[in-house]
Amino acid sequence: MSIYLALTVASLKMYFRNKQALFWALFFPLLIMIIFGMMNFDKYDSPNVGIYDAADNPASQALIQALKGSNQQELLSVAVDTLEEAHHELEFGTSRAVIEIPANYGAPGEFAEIKVTYDERFQQERAVISTILGQVTDAVFKELNQVPDEYRVENSIGITETVITGQGQGFKAWLIPGVAAMAIMQTGLFTVVFTLVRFKSQGVLRRLKATPIGASHFLAGQLTTKAIVVVLQTYVLVIVGAIVLGVSIGNGRIGAWLDLTILALLGGALFIAIGLAVSGWAKNEETAAPIANIISMPMMFLSGVFFPLSVMPDWLTRWSQYLPLTYLADAMRAITVEGASITTLGSELLGLSIWIVISFVVATKMFRWE
Amino acid sequence: MTTASDPIIIARDLHKKYGDITAVNGISFEVHRGEVFGMLGPNGAGKTTTVEILEGMRDADSGDAIINGINVKDDPPAVKAMIGVQLQQNAFFDKLKLSEIVDLYAKLYLAKVDPVEILSRVGLDNRKNAQYAELSGGQKQRLSIAVALVNDPVVLFLDEPTTGLDPQARRQLWELVRTIQKSGATIMLTTHYMEEAEELCDRIAVVENGEIIALDTPDALIDQLLETGFIPKKRVREATLDDVFLNLTGHDLRD
Repeated sequence: MSIYLALTVASLKMYFRNKQALFWALFFPLLIMIIFGMMNFDKYDSPNVGIYDAADNPASQALIQALKGSNQQELLSVAVDTLEEAHHELEFGTSRAVIEIPANYGAPGEFAEIKVTYDERFQQERAVISTILGQVTDAVFKELNQVPDEYRVENSIGITETVITGQGQGFKAWLIPGVAAMAIMQTGLFTVVFTLVRFKSQGVLRRLKATPIGASHFLAGQLTTKAIVVVLQTYVLVIVGAIVLGVSIGNGRIGAWLDLTILALLGGALFIAIGLAVSGWAKNEETAAPIANIISMPMMFLSGVFFPLSVMPDWLTRWSQYLPLTYLADAMRAITVEGASITTLGSELLGLSIWIVISFVVATKMFRWE
Repeated sequence: MTTASDPIIIARDLHKKYGDITAVNGISFEVHRGEVFGMLGPNGAGKTTTVEILEGMRDADSGDAIINGINVKDDPPAVKAMIGVQLQQNAFFDKLKLSEIVDLYAKLYLAKVDPVEILSRVGLDNRKNAQYAELSGGQKQRLSIAVALVNDPVVLFLDEPTTGLDPQARRQLWELVRTIQKSGATIMLTTHYMEEAEELCDRIAVVENGEIIALDTPDALIDQLLETGFIPKKRVREATLDDVFLNLTGHDLRD
């Protein structure tokens, strides 16, 4: 126990004396968060819209396609979803409207009523979406039915509008947990890879092997250190982010901080294990750095850290939803943005756990002293 | 009951192969308590592998390595706990002060020591707040000896302790080895400097191709050579070029 404590204290000292590591762990993610937060992507000119397509026929698909616009000019940023999910996204500020296409849309001779729900706090987007929807339904109807211009669209398609007051705090609030999750990944992966591979190539690990301690002592000390760092880092990023960007965390729920701590530890364990696997495999820094980058770079962009997964093509999100960072970012976001409790995040926790087990199995197979 | 002549290190018919290469091919010897025992030989002769088997860093393919009555393969941690080790390539944590490095290693052996006292034994107490990367080559070697002393070892293994050091640093390290010997420890060192072996070692084993080809005191080995009628190429002079260098540059250490 005292050996483990000595190793943990020593590696904590080493970590906090390493200014470069601190920069990457704290200032860099903060910088990204603040710059992106200040850019205010909420003013993006094609608003996010969730569509629930109950009809799911050629007519409704043509409508969705028309709402998306052409490659040259995107009209709306459309995500086709379940009704529940679409409303959830509107409620928490990821999207600006829900469009429900009724089951009888496109059926000959029937009156189809499209229901649209807006977040009243975003009047500008509401106007844009409403205009686009009106024009598009009009055009699609004419095209489908080949009717003369004098037949107005209201004859067979109606649009009803509902307004809610969402709880979302916009892109800024959305960004903070994403960047915090990314920072957990970077710290877990890179500090482990760089310290361990350096220790290994310099022979520090070999010298430790000459002492009576086992590998488990050393690895436990490393794990504890990085776990402490990851949790502190998460607190700093979330708190500073919330203050600078002016958003509230977990809708004021105090338990959110405990949940965040648990998620930071899980995420930390996951990426530390991946880091251990990489550093076990790599002989030196030159081979370790590219591998760590190959693992982390795609996740940075495919896991919904900076932008919602809904803006990406469906074929990509079908895969990226299973990425380790996606589970972590989604779970942290549910807690900070939606005020959810960790107990409701079963699928994210399951996804994280599976990845943790896989990573640790690989890591123990890969680890070498020299 | 142990006496001064009891062997503290016993190597018995050690063998070690790396793939097709035979590194150690039946090495046997004994080292007595309080002795400085040297292993000499060209690079790749099997010195380091032999020492690493004794240290519990490597498993022998066959044969026994016994340190202070414990067979290394039976209980490597117990052997590691009572020996001090300076590896050929030493490295310590960066971002830690020397005193913290010594303290950490002491704790790994569950030993209670005053890090500054240990550092003063190798003449590094004035650099206790420095970091490993700031040290010169000789200082790094002395730190690694300091770390090897934290558990008050019964045997100290030094693998090529002076390789890469300038003459001043080398002489200072010799002085240190003698001081440690006087404190009662047994020292086993490897070197490929004959002068160093002659200077420090009570007995030496000459290793070639994984086998011991000669084992005796330095004087006896020289006498045996002269008995064969050997005549040195050059008449022995009263001083060496090493002495000239030290006379010109001074004995003080350049740190």
